Amino acid sequence: MSDPAGKHDPSPLDEFSSRLEAARKVANPNAEDADATRGRAMGKGFRLASELLAAMIVGPALGLGLDQLAGTSPWGLVGGILVGFAAGIRNVAQTMKQDRKGDEAGAE
Amino acid sequence: MLRQMAAGPMEQFEIHPLVPLTMGGVDVSFTNSTLWMWIALGAAIAFFGVATRSRALIPGRLQSVAEVFYEFIADTVRGAIGPEGMKFFPYVFTLFIYILLANLLGLFPTIPGLPHTFTTTSHIAVTASLGLLSISIVIIYGFYKNGLSFLKLFVPSGVPIWLLPLVSLIEIVSFLSRPISLAIRLFANMLAGHIILKVFAGFIISLLGAGGVFGVIAIFPFLGIIAITMLEILVAFLQAYVFAILTCIYLNDAVHAGHH
Repeated sequence: MSDPAGKHDPSPLDEFSSRLEAARKVANPNAEDADATRGRAMGKGFRLASELLAAMIVGPALGLGLDQLAGTSPWGLVGGILVGFAAGIRNVAQTMKQDRKGDEAGAE
Repeated sequence: MLRQMAAGPMEQFEIHPLVPLTMGGVDVSFTNSTLWMWIALGAAIAFFGVATRSRALIPGRLQSVAEVFYEFIADTVRGAIGPEGMKFFPYVFTLFIYILLANLLGLFPTIPGLPHTFTTTSHIAVTASLGLLSISIVIIYGFYKNGLSFLKLFVPSGVPIWLLPLVSLIEIVSFLSRPISLAIRLFANMLAGHIILKVFAGFIISLLGAGGVFGVIAIFPFLGIIAITMLEILVAFLQAYVFAILTCIYLNDAVHAGHH
């Protein structure tokens, strides 16, 4: 997550923080405790679920709206469900792709 | 059993008008929800006011916390949008701090004699407003910056022409689902966490009420509540962060709509 793009000039404070960081890594190599990891995994899962769900609400809603306007019932709803499902899968796939990109960047 | 206890698990989400008001036939009462939004706002202003008062080079305790928040969100914004995204920093930072404080304040137990604690983010009206605000900024800035080429967002490159209408439709639905997914996620997390806490608390009361051996068993839901409360504190941070970073990711589309 952190992005040390070298935007500060080296000052005593920054030098101290890098030494502190190194010392911390030695003292506690796996600082990520199990609870935090589980919480983050839960957050990720929730995110994927809500993204799928949201698209599956929007699709049918648009379909129903079209039915109301154009009187094409029930074909708007049927199409909306299909498109909404596809959009949900697309959301999930893209989120996973972004996550993997983030993990690779964060792994250093 | 639970029914005859003082409060069911859903009662904490009820909205009561504190100062009834109507404006042009619309109910705009000052409710407990309004009160806790103001408390979150006041807490944020007070915290950053006090924390940044001394503006020391070597920060004190409060100033360190404020700086950690600042750098955390600034890194998030730079990472997701790039340096030019920093013009959205005030918005993302405000969003993060507000959601975080609203989530955390809701976890406080009610102090007797004061109004009941209320989690404003457990109401979909609140989270949906925040989600719509985020997506409105994305749409308005997207069109302002890119003009009509913002619509290229819905036309991914490398798609055969006969498939394009369908893919664009899917992209549009996917875009429209963003504020809804933002809203549902935050609201569902807060709602679920608080219901679980109240249900476990109900177990304790029922067990203690049953007396004898059952009173001893009450220790287990109590330990459960402690664990869930700690998890909820984590969730409060996590959901505020997720809302902020997703806003950044969506803003990134608006800033960089041309090149995809």
